[in-house]
Amino acid sequence: MATSKIKVRRYTHSAKWIISLSIFWLLLSGYLKPLLLGFGVASVVLVMFVFNRMQRVDNEPQEFGTWLQIIRYTPWLLGQILSSSLRVTKLVWGSASEVSPSLAKINVETVPEARRTLYANSITLTPGTLTLDVDGDEVTVHALEQTSIDELKKGYIASKITGIWGENK
Amino acid sequence: MLLLLDIISGILLVTGVFFGLSGAVGVFKLPNFFTRVHAASVTDSIAVILIVSGLVLQTPLGINIAKLLFILVFLLITSPTASHALAKSARHGGLLTMSELEKGDQEEKAPK
Repeated sequence: MATSKIKVRRYTHSAKWIISLSIFWLLLSGYLKPLLLGFGVASVVLVMFVFNRMQRVDNEPQEFGTWLQIIRYTPWLLGQILSSSLRVTKLVWGSASEVSPSLAKINVETVPEARRTLYANSITLTPGTLTLDVDGDEVTVHALEQTSIDELKKGYIASKITGIWGENK
Repeated sequence: MLLLLDIISGILLVTGVFFGLSGAVGVFKLPNFFTRVHAASVTDSIAVILIVSGLVLQTPLGINIAKLLFILVFLLITSPTASHALAKSARHGGLLTMSELEKGDQEEKAPK
């Protein structure tokens, strides 16, 4: 009983990937000729074959249901990018002595492990802060201004991520 | 309506170009490697977002908009990865940040 449940879950998981990969191919190619559709089917089959083999190796099933959460997260991140870009641009056009580059280790215990890449990438994506290293529960961040480090230490990105995806258990 | 779209996309493109230029100026103006990466990330993030959204408004409704959005998504995923790879290898290669250099100078001067 239990094994069949797992099997069903694996099949629906594969089906979701097959459907989204096919949509991706169609959006990229835009042609509906049989030859090109055949190439599309072949590449989807190839990707699924590699995908299943890789999943047996790393045993980290990729969750699929995070689209809604990503959609909730993106506008906020875009706002952050805009405001910090303005700050960095001001620094660039101002005098060079105003920069106060600083380095700090930030604790990310609260962020779930699967979301740490997202966290580190969000830090790097917002201008003015740059992830140098991710090591265990700590992220080394270099910032153009001391204030950005203070904001990160208060956990303004971390609390947004845990607010959407839940805390680390 | 079309004129309005043209105006909005024009504004987006011009501000995007301005941010791209600021990033380029920053790469030359800022003092050391780590700070320069920050300047480059202005071009990576906000300039890309503004220019691609300006182009989306110029494109007739259809499959090309999806392609432009794919470009945007992949740039937003790969450019921080590239800056991170650069910065991490610089750090592991032994390049010091400005504050660490200043600390080193003080320790050198202290014994004299």
